[in-house]
Formats: sequence, structure tokens, C-alpha cells
Amino acid sequence: MILGSSLSYTYPVGTRPALREITLSIDSGELVLITGPTAAGKTTLCYALSGILHHELGGTLSGFLSLKNKPIGDYSGIAELNRHISMVFDDADAQLIFTSVEEELASGLETRMDSKQEIEDRVKEVMEICGISHLKERPPYALSGGQKQRVALAAALAMDTEVIILDEPTSELDVMATGRIIEILQDLKSKGKTIIIVDHSLEGYRNVADRVIVMGEGMIKQEGTFDEIYPEQQGLMRALYTDPDLIPYQHPENSSEIVKIDSLFKKYGDIEALSGVSLTLYEGEFIAILGENGSGKTTLVKHLNGLLRPDRGLITVCSLDAATVPVIELVKETGLVFQNPDTMLFADSVREEILFGLENIGDENPYQTISHVLSLVGLSGTETTYPRHLSRGERQRLAVACILALKPRIIILDEPTTGLDEKESDRMMELMLNLQKSGHTIIMVTHNMRIAEQYAGRIIAMENGRVIGDYHNLRGHTS
Amino acid sequence: MSEILQYIPGKSPLHSLNPVTKLLLVILIVALCVLSSHITFLCFLIAVLVIGAFFSGLINELKNQVHFLLLLSFFLVLLTSLTVQEGEVLFTILPSHNPSEAGYGITMGGLMFGVLLSLRFVVMITAFQLFVVTTKPSDLVTGLLAFRLPVDYILMLLIALRFIPSLQLEAKRIHEAQLCRGYNPGTGISGKIMSMKPIMIPLVANSLAKTQVLGLTLDMRGYRARKKLPFHRLVFSIGDAISAILLIVILLTFALLHFIFI
Repeated sequence: MILGSSLSYTYPVGTRPALREITLSIDSGELVLITGPTAAGKTTLCYALSGILHHELGGTLSGFLSLKNKPIGDYSGIAELNRHISMVFDDADAQLIFTSVEEELASGLETRMDSKQEIEDRVKEVMEICGISHLKERPPYALSGGQKQRVALAAALAMDTEVIILDEPTSELDVMATGRIIEILQDLKSKGKTIIIVDHSLEGYRNVADRVIVMGEGMIKQEGTFDEIYPEQQGLMRALYTDPDLIPYQHPENSSEIVKIDSLFKKYGDIEALSGVSLTLYEGEFIAILGENGSGKTTLVKHLNGLLRPDRGLITVCSLDAATVPVIELVKETGLVFQNPDTMLFADSVREEILFGLENIGDENPYQTISHVLSLVGLSGTETTYPRHLSRGERQRLAVACILALKPRIIILDEPTTGLDEKESDRMMELMLNLQKSGHTIIMVTHNMRIAEQYAGRIIAMENGRVIGDYHNLRGHTS
Repeated sequence: MSEILQYIPGKSPLHSLNPVTKLLLVILIVALCVLSSHITFLCFLIAVLVIGAFFSGLINELKNQVHFLLLLSFFLVLLTSLTVQEGEVLFTILPSHNPSEAGYGITMGGLMFGVLLSLRFVVMITAFQLFVVTTKPSDLVTGLLAFRLPVDYILMLLIALRFIPSLQLEAKRIHEAQLCRGYNPGTGISGKIMSMKPIMIPLVANSLAKTQVLGLTLDMRGYRARKKLPFHRLVFSIGDAISAILLIVILLTFALLHFIFI
């Protein structure tokens, strides 16, 4: 189906090639998993296979690439190629163009189908396959990250092309939803579709992927069957809190309370996001809060620094009443690092970025603090760099540094490993372990079961706005 | 959070009207309210719009705007009363140095002109709002296509409408992220402007980062060089016939007020 030899590519603004001497052949009906660290060239390879490099982006391209025995460059552009190939990009939000899910799915079908009835039937069918029928009339802004990813996938599937390319389609999905996507892909494969998928969470593809390609520095580093490349289990594919090995949590004897939450309720309009959460957290703990998408995890942690105020219930953070004390006071005790570092980076240099927070709280010796926190997060020497020129992992660590500079006793991380590869994720977690050792309390909200199992000492499971489990994790580094 | 100018799903009379009919009605109403300087006629137009909103269950949407419209009207009246010197002087602000001349003051003409402008704005804003919230964006596109507008421009409008609430949400998220760093919006006008930087820069940078994927998605779905857009064909119904009658009524009222009872 797809044949490439010695394919190399450099972006118009790049200095180093993003792809080097890629040679590969993908058969019809094959499911190929592409993985590798950040900036390994995975997305660029997807762009190459979908014809975007040849027809859209410019840059320097050499080597040979063909689809169905016809060189990709000989097709008359994406307009012709999209009859054979559909692609799901990694940014789900930017792919939703129309104002309802239904229209989104119909949008690619008009040039393929003649009658309105045919289009309607197809849209209905795809919505059922992807489990998004109930979202039919929703506009994109009313969808969660995971729902957006499913709609973007559905929009690509609706076009019913022979080749489907997916770039990290499950990054914002929990274990259950990821499993469902993999089932859909398996079903498509059995219908003879060729599927190329880039992903970081791997274990779900065992027995599904025909082949794994590991990339690094723009090259194919390894290629083989899943079992050949990963003989051992890669992370967990089940929800950790259903694990019978976990033992119920008992509060430590000689630690002092740092957060006390009692019967916390919070509603968004008619939807009850938190319904009676009670928890006590102790100083120096490393806590992972787990739960499916929409279980109330993020809502809960936003109460800890006053971004959200409870409708009912008590919440005390470091002896402060978090229901009434101003945010500016609370942030000195609890630092919240958002999921996407780009929601906060705005300054012209790393130094100014950190200085912003320090000036806000009136730090007396800001420059000393800056070099201290930069060395903690391993970014010393980047003081004058433009923050958005750093890699995703570095930006995430800079975001942590910005919060650390405020010297909070509690550090909260919302999905700290989204968009990071395994190496960067571990690096982030090692950093948290060090901070825990120096006396900080760490709370992380995540759906990444691997890092929760490996690092957190205490695991709190949430479902539908309630705490459904509170455990000691004996396998964690910290216990 | 209230979403600005977003379609509200429903099955009311206004919803079921053909988008072209609605667009024509809006154009006509806006044109007439600009042409007319008859306060009674403008009040009549407002009444028509309010009745329309009432029968479509959108009266609350209009109520939410009252605050803004009153504020706007207040400033318009203030501005015109201070600048337009016409007709009977109601009261004087600055006495003239020459006792035989009238001083600088609030005049009847200025006041009435302010009221007139305010009413025009109320009509235009309400009409546009009712149109946008009762028309599915895809129907809006169909409507615009019927007026032979190029597809590229229509897509631009469609995408702009789609991203308004997303940007609102993103701005809220950025605001929260900055609050976590002790961000403290400044006071006074210069403080307010300076404190926009930590919000605006991430907002603009993140939006720009989306453009490439957005463009590629349009290409992958085959939108390049497309002459028409998918979605619905135009269907005229009984509601559209009633609107045609309404249109005639509005025109007649306009004619009556302006050419017969002058």
C-alpha cells in the first residue's frame, strides 16, 4: 500500500532534518504502531505518509514515497489524496471546524456521496461506532478534551478511506475510552483498512498491532512485532484502583494535617461536579488522584487554592479557610501547575517568566530564587531563552519552576505527563520525588496509571464527584 | 459562562424559518431603522422583535441584553445632548457671555437625537442577535450562499463564530493559570491595560499555533477549491409565507408613518 525509501525531510525553518533516510513498506490491511520520544519525527512521518509534506508544507524533501504504486508527488494534491487517506491530528480542538458534531462528520462526505440520505446514514453509523451519538448537536466548546478526540476520530472515519493515519489519538482519554478506541481500530483492521497510529501508551496495542516502529532523531531505530520489541508489559491497561493488591489507606501517625476537606459540594449549572467529598491529606505525602474523564478530579484540586469556591462544605488548607481566603494568599501555600504549560507562558525570557510570580508576591531576593528553582528543575543556563522555544518537556518543567518560586508547601499537578514521552514523564516525576523529600506535599491528578503506580505513595480514586477509594500504594517509590 | 452570539437549539417559529427569509427580514429591518427617523416606527420595530422573541421562547435572551442596551443608550443620549445644539433649550449648562444669546445647554433636539440613535441601535442589535441565536451556523452559511457570497469568506465567518466561545474558555483558563502565580489585575486604566499582557500573549500564541492543523484539516476534508458547502438545501414553508406577510406589514407601517401622516 505504502512504500518509502531513503525519505529525508527538513522543514522550511528547520536546520536539522526531521526525517532521515526512512525506508518502510506498509501492506494493505496492516496496523502499524509508531512510537518514540518527543521530537523523534513521528508527526513528520505522518505528514509524509498523508502527502502533506509533498503538497503543502514546502521544505527540502528527498527520497521516494508511493501510495498504491503511484508516487505521492504525482497525485494532484491533497484534494485527490484525501480520497485514499484520512488523518487525525494530535490537536483535537483545532480539527473541529464546524459548530456541531453532526456537521463536523458530514463535512468531509459531500464530495464523496450524492444523496443527503446517504450522508445522514453514514454520519449516524459513525457516531454509533465511536459512541458519540449523544453529542450529535453539541458545539465543539461544550465537549471535553476526550470527547473532542473521539469526534475528530469519527470525522476521519466517516470518510471511509483505505488508509487512516492517527497522531496520538488517545492522549486525553482514560483507560476505558482508550480501550474502546483500540477496539474500533481492530474492527477497522478486520475490514481491511490500513491503519498507522502514533501513540505513547503502548500496552493496549499488544495483539492488535501487526508491527511496531520505534523512531528516534528522525530515523527508524527499531522495527518488529510488538512482542519482539516489548517482551515485558508496558504500563497498565486497567484502572489501578480496581487492583486487589492495594491496601486501604490509614493515616500516618506522626504527620500533621495539611489539607482537610469535609463534605464538599460543587455544582456547575445543573451538573453536580462534587457531591460530598471528604478527605484529609498529610504533610509530605505524594498523592495521585485517579478517575475517569469527568469524575471531578480537577474540580476538586481547584478548590485547594481558591480558583473555585465550594457551594457547601468545609475546606482548610494550611490552616487557612480556602472557601473565603483570597486566591493571592492561598497561592503562597498551594501551587497549581496546569496541564498545558502554554496556558501560562507569556514573557520574553525564562527569567522574566519566573520573575512575574515573584513580583506578584513581593519576593525580596528574586534573582537568587530564580537560579535556585531553575537548578531544581534542571533548566539552569536557560535564563535568557524565549520560553516558547523550549521543548514541551522543558516548558512543563519551567511551569513547575514558576510555581516553585512562590515556595508553596503543597504542589498540585494537573495531568503533568500529557504530551510528554516516557523519559520526560519520568524526569518530571523524579523532580517531584526530590521536592517531596525536601518537605513539599505533592498532589497529582492523572489518568496515567503507570506513573501513579510507580511514584505515588497514596492513591485516591474518584468517580462521579465522589471519592470511591483511598489506598496505600506499596509499589510506589515513596512508600 | 454565557456564550456570546451562539446558536441556541430549538424548534420555535423563528428557528423553523428559512435562513434566507430571516436574513432578508434582518436586512430590511436594519435598513428601515436607519432610514426612518420616526420614533413611533422604531418602537413598532422593537415591538415586532420582542413579540417574535416572545413566541420563540427567547425573551430571556433579550432580557440579558437590557443592561448593556440601557448603558449604551445612556452614553449615546449623553453624547448627543452635549454635542447637538438644536431646538428648545431645556436647561443651560454654561451661560452665554452675551445675555441676548442662549447659553450652552441641553436641547430638545440633542436629547431626541440621542433617543433616536439609541432606538436604532436597540433594533439593530436585537435583530442581529435573534437572527444568530436562532440560525444554525450551517443554515446561516446556506443563507449566505444564496446571496452568492464566495465560499472562502463564508467559511471564514463560520470558523470565526465557532471559535468565539473556545477563545472565551481559553481566556478563562489562562486567567486561572496566572492567578495561580499571584497575578493581580491592576487598577486604573493603565493598570488594566498593562495587566492584559499575561492573558493576551498566551491567548494569541496558542490560537496561532492551531492555524496549521486547522488549515490542513480543511484540506484533508477536501475544502480546497470547493464551490459549494454541504448541509441543507433551502426549503420554504408556511412560516416563510407568514414572514412575507409580516414583511409587507412592516413596509406598510413604514410607508404610512412616513408618507401619509407626516
